[in-house]
Amino acid sequence: MNRQATPTAAAPWTGRRRHAPEWLAPALFLAPALALLAVFLLYPLIESLRLSLVEWNGLGKGRVDVGLDNWSALLRDAQFWRALGNNLLLALMSVLVQLPIALALALLLDKAGRGSRTLKILYFLPLLFSSVALGVIFKNIFDPHFGPINTALNAIGATALAQDWLGDRRFALLTVTAVVCWQNIPFYMILFLAALASFPPELREAARLDGASDATIFWKIKLPHLQGTVRTAAMLAVIGSLRYFDLIYVMTGGGPEGASELMATYMYRTVFSSFQLGYGSTVASAMFLVVALIAAFGMRLTKRFETRV
Amino acid sequence: MNPAPLCSAALAFGLATAALAQEPKVITEWDIQTQPGGSKLIQEAQARFEKANPGFKVQRTQIPNDAYKTKLKIAMGANEPPCVFTSWGGGVLREYIKAGQVVDLGPYLAKDPAFRERFLPSAFDAITWQGKTYGLPGENTTAAVIYYNTEIFAKFGLAPPKTWPELMKLVETLKANDVAPFALANKAKWPGSMYYMYLVDRIGGPEVFRKAIARAPGGSFADPAFVEAGKYLQELVKAGAFAQGFNGLDYDIGAARRLLYSGKAAMELMGTWESSNIKNENPEFAKKVDFFPFPGVPGGKGQAGNVVGSVGQNFYSISTACKTPEAAYQLITTMLDEASVKARLADKRLVPVKELTIADAPMQRVMQLVADAPAVQLWYDQELPPQLAELHKDTVQALFGLSITPEEAAQKMQALAAQILK
Repeated sequence: MNRQATPTAAAPWTGRRRHAPEWLAPALFLAPALALLAVFLLYPLIESLRLSLVEWNGLGKGRVDVGLDNWSALLRDAQFWRALGNNLLLALMSVLVQLPIALALALLLDKAGRGSRTLKILYFLPLLFSSVALGVIFKNIFDPHFGPINTALNAIGATALAQDWLGDRRFALLTVTAVVCWQNIPFYMILFLAALASFPPELREAARLDGASDATIFWKIKLPHLQGTVRTAAMLAVIGSLRYFDLIYVMTGGGPEGASELMATYMYRTVFSSFQLGYGSTVASAMFLVVALIAAFGMRLTKRFETRV
Repeated sequence: MNPAPLCSAALAFGLATAALAQEPKVITEWDIQTQPGGSKLIQEAQARFEKANPGFKVQRTQIPNDAYKTKLKIAMGANEPPCVFTSWGGGVLREYIKAGQVVDLGPYLAKDPAFRERFLPSAFDAITWQGKTYGLPGENTTAAVIYYNTEIFAKFGLAPPKTWPELMKLVETLKANDVAPFALANKAKWPGSMYYMYLVDRIGGPEVFRKAIARAPGGSFADPAFVEAGKYLQELVKAGAFAQGFNGLDYDIGAARRLLYSGKAAMELMGTWESSNIKNENPEFAKKVDFFPFPGVPGGKGQAGNVVGSVGQNFYSISTACKTPEAAYQLITTMLDEASVKARLADKRLVPVKELTIADAPMQRVMQLVADAPAVQLWYDQELPPQLAELHKDTVQALFGLSITPEEAAQKMQALAAQILK
């Protein structure tokens, strides 16, 4: 039916100009963002899912449709599962190491008040370095023969502690994880500092008057106040760890013997070194699924916490 | 009517068209020569080309090794490769050839037989596929040799070993004197692969690998020679022949050479490009370094003169995406002309041309080594198709780490080879 044929009292027919439909303005505002999203997020996502179903070296026209072959190969690929395991370990370490240290530093800086500016800058520095530069620096720091760590350990007679940090498959992942933590702690520290800044001082004053100790104030007042931030930080740390790439790629390349292989380094190797664009896309898609699942699960968990508090 | 505006308009138009006509045709070129010496000589060759071919301009990009491999792969995949590019020949280049992205230089070379005749015939091996030639041999002839610190050898009364037992004896003596026998930076896995390749050659001869990769009758990566090579390799590791940390040390940041310079390690198996690295980094040390070929294995089928390396390395090819292949061909021949060959020689690089007057004694020995070699084996990681090459590097690193048995490593290679080599 013709809409204009039924004039309403609210919008009288002007005869000359029609009113734009209500959805037009928001649509116009959203369009650029949606277009960007479609081109840079949706399209690559769908394309890599599509590529996960082909066998292709990424050159020319030789694409061969192989259905779910890549996926079934992935399920049987010990290297992939090992990489996933390493990713999960990195995630666990990030939450268990990065967050407590970051929180401790934030509390310290928050309390320090005056003079904390210099410390803030100092603690923030690791985040400002490029990961590639850091990787090269730490490769030298952990050099078993000339690195300052082993040199120092040997100098104080702790020769037994001097290890082959990056070349021994028992230590490689832990070593790089330590560097990853060191680099990322400042980020979470800033997050916690911002949350602490919004902590009303009257609350602390009141608690003090009631005779609460520092420990009580921390556990009973400050920590609950920070809860939301801690949860957000934990989610970020987990998701970040699952997608991690740069520092590990530079420092060990996923080695030795795959000891520090992550999903992302494995994907890089399959695509760019082995020329298996199809299979590499399967790895990438699997990585996406894992991250999405864990993120969804994590968010539900957070929601439940929120309703309980 | 005032004619002035019309005149100036015409003038402007004329200038614009003139500018358009003079717009140089750009030839893009990518290579990996980032060291000052190598970089300069290429730049000079390109300047000569531009002078001889007015209207053309070379736009050059230099990218170090591993980043280069990735960048080229992406450019090829996106169908926007440079006009002229460098490669190591072998398996990776074949992927590009199969995708129809590399120009067959046969017709060009046929027009210019004298140019082709200048090179050693084997210089074209790595860039020939199904009888067609897809590149020109560039840069240098290289062979993997064992560099050693003559001072340390003299101190303990050692001599370059000719056989495996002699080498093991040497390892023992050095160990007893607290010197690591070998420096090895195996993070990138190809440095360790050199030991394996040599052992396969010495034990089974060059045919074993050739037959395995060609899927010839009886050819297999599970051939006893591959298994034996793994055993010898692990014997060397267990004897403590390598300075600590070898599977984590990074060759690209000089981690292995540092061990040599400091005297902590006595030897290093490496391609002859190492001479130029050592000379640039540590001229003092360069005076006391010498090299010897990889020793023979008693009872092995491979002759001790066989070499792992490459006659010509960093070959120049032209992509089919290049709009001016004729000019690009002119460019790559200029990059290998008489002046370029001389400049390379001065930079301690042996272009694989027949008549080369070499004054430098060690370089003469390298040239002799390769010229006399009954067989020259191109690096496996370049010769094999990429996926198999990656597995080769992985299994060899695991052999070094003693986390895989030689039999397992051989079986893995054979299984994948059966699947992807047809």
